[in-house]
Amino acid sequence: MKEFFLNLGNLKLNTPLMLSSGTWGWGENLSKFLSLAEIKYSIGALVTKGVSLEPKEGNPPPRIAETPCGLINSIGLENPGIKEFKAKYLPPIKLYEIPVIVNLFGEKIEDFVGLAEELKEEVSGIELNISCPNVEKGGILFSDNPKLVKDLVREVRKIWNSFLAVKLSPVGPVFEVAKSCERAESDALVVANTYPALTVLSFKPLKILKGGLSGPAIKPLTLRLVWELSQRVGLPIIGCGGIITGKDALEYLICGAKAVQIGTANLINPKSVAEIMEELEKLLKTYGLSY
Amino acid sequence: MFEAKVFINQREGGEYYLLGLRVSENLAKKFLPGQFLKIRVSSTLDPLFPRPFTIHAIEGSKLYLLYRVVGKGTQILSKILPEEELKILGPLGKPFPEIKEPYIICAGGAGIAGFGYLLQKTSHLPLKIFYGVRTKEELVRVNFYEKFHVSLTLVTEDGSYGTKGLVTEALEEELENKFKKYKPCLLACGPLPMLKSVLKVAKKYQLKTFLVLETFLACGTGFCRGCVIPLRKGGYTHLCIEGPTFLAEELDLERVFS
Repeated sequence: MKEFFLNLGNLKLNTPLMLSSGTWGWGENLSKFLSLAEIKYSIGALVTKGVSLEPKEGNPPPRIAETPCGLINSIGLENPGIKEFKAKYLPPIKLYEIPVIVNLFGEKIEDFVGLAEELKEEVSGIELNISCPNVEKGGILFSDNPKLVKDLVREVRKIWNSFLAVKLSPVGPVFEVAKSCERAESDALVVANTYPALTVLSFKPLKILKGGLSGPAIKPLTLRLVWELSQRVGLPIIGCGGIITGKDALEYLICGAKAVQIGTANLINPKSVAEIMEELEKLLKTYGLSY
Repeated sequence: MFEAKVFINQREGGEYYLLGLRVSENLAKKFLPGQFLKIRVSSTLDPLFPRPFTIHAIEGSKLYLLYRVVGKGTQILSKILPEEELKILGPLGKPFPEIKEPYIICAGGAGIAGFGYLLQKTSHLPLKIFYGVRTKEELVRVNFYEKFHVSLTLVTEDGSYGTKGLVTEALEEELENKFKKYKPCLLACGPLPMLKSVLKVAKKYQLKTFLVLETFLACGTGFCRGCVIPLRKGGYTHLCIEGPTFLAEELDLERVFS
């Protein structure tokens, strides 16, 4: 196994691969499908499913639909709330002895600050989901307003010294939002969340599913974002979008990402991360590259 | 995921196929009746997700699946030839619950598939099996089911074979005539309209009923939280980790069938 150390602010990674938020449940079934050795060998950090202050039961069915080379999901941020998350779900995740990054979402800036307060000294980092509506600004998405994002990151930063990443939406004023994150002293950008999308489930009665598109269908789009952002923003970028193979991961790393997140691939094959890591190492050797 | 070698993939009748996969004996032993596996039907990116199938029968290291061609995934699967290798993931989901009371199986179409392995493994056979399809070509694997010496009522909607009508009408007639005093449990699997009718019958005779449900699955492992089933007490359960078999009274049936 190759030694890999990457410093992203206060976060040290032993591999460039992270498990993306919402694609490995609450970790309760992870060790059923991956051995401890595979987890340690391949996963640099675990990014948890999104957590809010209060529990959320999530959206009614249907929540998911397959589209060509992709998946539309509308899970609705189902989560047990920060208190139960800390008591029940976080302790077993920490037993893997891999950096844990908690994905946070809220309806207003104070929600994010409150969540960060709850996690102080508990985890290696936080990832702010800004693809959610701000109720104090008439429901506009945080990610649609660069100033709002700057205020959000600044306020959370005041009380959070460890690793802080912002997960960008791939739509809206992406470059301005990225600059705001830089100015507000975020440690890294996760590029990016799913793409707003829609699929028709049936014609009669008409049934549609609106949600976020992920999977290989979005890879060229997000890869371009990673490339452009890496040229314009000084923050380290964590690429996230449609990585299924080691080759996909290498493409992101070559196009400007310092690390990558594996998401939809975990849903296709729970062992994906181990297979991607193995393939990535072989490719790096083949091309004489290092990370 | 595990490698499995196809040794049979033959059309049984209608759009129904029997797929045989050879796996390690160790893996085969892990499957319990009612559980399912997922098959990557193609190494391309479309379709992207492996498709779920219940276990129909197991003989040593040979797994049998009985499936109906319903979409792109099963269409591709139906073209796979013996000696080809497929990637599979399983066992997934929970087995059928242990039913101590006398029980009747009611199956519609491909819903019959999973009960084969139950009959192979259980020491507590059902009182009767009602198996209904639209027309006689769709009655498949009847010889296999007859081997277990359980009363098997075959029902076709068009009357081309066996009893004419809906499988739930045959079930109701049986209950009306013979089972009023016994109050058996029902174990049902089939299309949603059929399950809805099963529940009407179950309500009339106040029978405890287990439903085997289907929905689109992405992960099958509990990772995505996509396959939710509404609960009567509020909130949701997840088909892939808590199902696919549920006690009907625990579900918010109106929302399940909406």
